[in-house]
Amino acid sequence: MSCPDLEKLFLAGASREDARRHRDSCATCRAAGPDADAVEDIASTLKAPEMPPSLHAALIDIPRRTVSCEGAERLLPLAVENELLPDDERRLSSHLSRCGGCSEAAATLLGTRDLAEPIAPPWLAGRLAVARPAKRRRSLSWIFGPKSVIAFAYGAAVVVMLLGFNPADLARKVGVGELGQSTRAAVLVAESSVTDRLGALQERVARTLAVWKGRAGGYGRAVVSNAVSIIWKNSPKQRTVERPRNRDGRGAFKESETTTTSWRT
Amino acid sequence: MSAEEKALVDRCRQGEDDAWRTLVDQFGQKVYSVAYHFTLNRDDAEELSQEIFLKTFENLHRYDGSFPLVAWLLSLSRNLCIDRYRRRKREKSFRFVSDDAVAPLLKSDDDPAAEALRKERSKILFSVLAEIPEDLAEILVLRDLDGLAYDEIGKALDLPDGTVKSRLFRARAEVARRIRERHERRGTAGAFQTLAVAAGGVL
Repeated sequence: MSCPDLEKLFLAGASREDARRHRDSCATCRAAGPDADAVEDIASTLKAPEMPPSLHAALIDIPRRTVSCEGAERLLPLAVENELLPDDERRLSSHLSRCGGCSEAAATLLGTRDLAEPIAPPWLAGRLAVARPAKRRRSLSWIFGPKSVIAFAYGAAVVVMLLGFNPADLARKVGVGELGQSTRAAVLVAESSVTDRLGALQERVARTLAVWKGRAGGYGRAVVSNAVSIIWKNSPKQRTVERPRNRDGRGAFKESETTTTSWRT
Repeated sequence: MSAEEKALVDRCRQGEDDAWRTLVDQFGQKVYSVAYHFTLNRDDAEELSQEIFLKTFENLHRYDGSFPLVAWLLSLSRNLCIDRYRRRKREKSFRFVSDDAVAPLLKSDDDPAAEALRKERSKILFSVLAEIPEDLAEILVLRDLDGLAYDEIGKALDLPDGTVKSRLFRARAEVARRIRERHERRGTAGAFQTLAVAAGGVL
């Protein structure tokens, strides 16, 4: 049991001489026997254990074995690009094995490489085909479109014929056989474009039809329901059977209802 | 002092090898000493010291120079030390401190009898430290065995100075009481007084 007065002295920063004077005059401290200073005295006779040289060398080497969290932030972008030097990769790996925060960040960043590419929906080609003419109108690219190429080709042929040449012979002589090829390519592109447009139109029509089909079903059910309710309202009401009344105006039994049958045993 | 230490830490952060070497030279011995007192085993102390310095290196950017670097080092490594201490406490050998465990802590003496006494007292001290609560034991280790100042212990353990002093007083009183009880149980009631007198203690 420790003496509260001695503890107050200790907390107030009293010297060991003051503490000793207190113990000499305090019955509690004398009864307690050995005092707390004895522990301090024992500890003071011990020396600090010497650090082994191998440990000192290992501690000096730490910056070459790992990186700090700051260093990891600098190395992670390179790791994502697979541009880490082998030493840096080893140091980063050592740090990530010990640091939960950096390890989580690395897993998130490196995980982006493994994400699958989204698959284009089947209607996208048709939509893009529909959207394409709007872009052409805004720029001069229509000049190089299939229609323009065909028009220019015909125009050039007419001019050549007016000048007295056979356009086919002239083309062979000049060696512009590619003109026919490019024309065919332009026609193919135009066909493809028309096909895409038709696909988009077909899809839009099908969707509109589905909507109208649903609406028609709803309207039909409403019409049938209204017709049934109108017919029901206009049908003749059933008349109640009047019972014969006695002279008090109260209900009286019919003759058949008052007739009893006797049974012979 | 903290400004110089902050400058040293900043140089370490910039990757200056000399700065890191200076830091290890300044604090390596102190950290190893604390680690040894918590583990009482050379291999474990080396491993713990490396973990403490690894953690220090990886967290250098967190040091703002507001308190002594040694206190910051210990505050970072407190959980590591306490974990080792608990692990050691669960082992059977913990309360039976061997001669080898205390040998690195003893000063060589020409008088073999006095050296034997010191060894015996050290073994008793460490075995009793294992019996008292952790919060008392760690303060006694840091103050009496490692010689840290009250404010350094307070910063390391995130405690006010008054609490540090109060716990230290209780830790010393508790250790003294347990040592006395142990000797009384063994029928060697005067042994502790003898040991303490031999150490020059005040009884």
